[in-house]
Amino acid sequence: MSEGTYRRPVSRSDPGCIVVLLDRSDSMKAPWSGTGSSLAVGAALALNNILLDLCITATTEVNEQVRHYFDIGVFGYGAKVIDPGEGVESAFGGALAGRGIVALPDLANHPLAVRDEPSVDQMAVSVKMPIWVEPVHGWSTPMCQAIEVAGDHVYKWAANHPNSFPPIVINITDGMVTDSPHGGASLQQWVERLTSVRTSDGPTLFFNVFLSPVRAQEILFPATPSGLPEPGPTLFGMSSELPRPMVENARADGIEVRPGARGLAFNVGRSTLLRVLQIGTRVPDRPF
Amino acid sequence: MVVFYAAKLGNDEREWEDAAAGFLGDPHTGRNPRFAVADGATEGFGSARWAHQLAAGFVGLGRVDQPGNGAGPAGRADAPALRPEELRGWLAGAQARWHGDPRMAEAGDLARLKAARVGSFATVLGCELTGLAGPEPHWEAVALGDTVLFHVRGHQLLTWFPRIEAEDFGVNPEGVSTKPERLASAVSRLSTDRGSLEVGDRLYLASDALAQWMVRADRRDPGSLWDALAGQVHPAEFRMLAERRRTGEMTNDDVTLLRVELAAAAPSELVVCL
Repeated sequence: MSEGTYRRPVSRSDPGCIVVLLDRSDSMKAPWSGTGSSLAVGAALALNNILLDLCITATTEVNEQVRHYFDIGVFGYGAKVIDPGEGVESAFGGALAGRGIVALPDLANHPLAVRDEPSVDQMAVSVKMPIWVEPVHGWSTPMCQAIEVAGDHVYKWAANHPNSFPPIVINITDGMVTDSPHGGASLQQWVERLTSVRTSDGPTLFFNVFLSPVRAQEILFPATPSGLPEPGPTLFGMSSELPRPMVENARADGIEVRPGARGLAFNVGRSTLLRVLQIGTRVPDRPF
Repeated sequence: MVVFYAAKLGNDEREWEDAAAGFLGDPHTGRNPRFAVADGATEGFGSARWAHQLAAGFVGLGRVDQPGNGAGPAGRADAPALRPEELRGWLAGAQARWHGDPRMAEAGDLARLKAARVGSFATVLGCELTGLAGPEPHWEAVALGDTVLFHVRGHQLLTWFPRIEAEDFGVNPEGVSTKPERLASAVSRLSTDRGSLEVGDRLYLASDALAQWMVRADRRDPGSLWDALAGQVHPAEFRMLAERRRTGEMTNDDVTLLRVELAAAAPSELVVCL
């Protein structure tokens, strides 16, 4: 069992924190089987949809400000856009370019663009979709650096929000880490540092989503690493156990979750990616 | 009748998303007294408006737009009879009015998305007092969700409706959605109950967090509970009671209490706390 209670409801007085680490390495240019677009395009689409979901959840009435239920960070690793080359940077563009973690109302007010993008859930509403993150790919996979950057941000955030639901860090990747060890620490050690950051409600949660460009058996929230192809066991080892809110989210979505299930989704196809992100980012607004 | 309420701790008072309404009856028209409490879902859009629309509509204080003019002069709706077909018609009309709310003309993209994707949702409990002038006065109630009616005589809880145990509150409560495709299902799950009344009886209508606490408190010490609730006369007293949300004794949510006392004669004073 994880040592946190993960019972703290998200509210404006105690907002939550969600950080997404988005692999922008060269391999993300690979076509995503059956979608007609690349892994990078599909991941950006799902990510924009989940950011929109969070904004919609916090929208409560006509002419009222989006409520500050979350602080959000999205960091790309691999190709950088603002300072071209390899590394880690905020994946936000436009008015939010270069910003680390931003408040949800800020995010809602400053999309990079608003386009006629299709919604993943195919809702029949003629509204334009805000875009916060563009698809980018290039260079290798500096995952250790990404976790280091995330750790720096969530450490400061947790210090300022000691009684909030713990930060949720979701890593979306299609490949193997290329910068371990980094700064004298292995990938596993960077993850241990990240998940040592905690609030009174528990340690930071670290979830991993491994994308597969080809059709393969999807494995969602496994309770054991046995049978997982590489790099499954490594990702399993560094993924947090799913706390109760996420277990309930998964079960409500029809996914069987065994005791001890980890926050790992392996060989995920495009239609599953959004579901997994929704399960990992839905936090209760009232105590259990 | 008196209503007390408090917004969820951490929220502004104007963000209270429950609603309460009462109509004390009209001997000239034969309309019976009616009372209702509704609890708008936090995750919904325009939940306070939806809860208010349901509560006010149930007691017959809702507004009905003129045919063919969505924003035109408004009239007063009839309270729906407590039969499935009438309730279905009333709820369908409420949904249509919610979707036709002229305020949506000012809505931005996010608000329009939320209204279309999620809509709103509220638990509702309404009751009518009938036969008050006759030998067998009683209450009749209809409910969907975990807003609860408590019927108390002296210090004894005679019954509560819906009969939800303390452990079962807040677990995916049922309610009325603004989505027309969910109307039939909601109507099919409406439950009803009734009870005999005597002079001096009190009815309490409470939204879920408070109702859950009341069920627990009745198990522990019914005398103190019903004494305290019968004696509430000022909003400040209710806010003190609601402070239990700070310690976790009561779930931190909007809380609402509507109290009705059956008296042999009409009250001689009307007290308004501003």
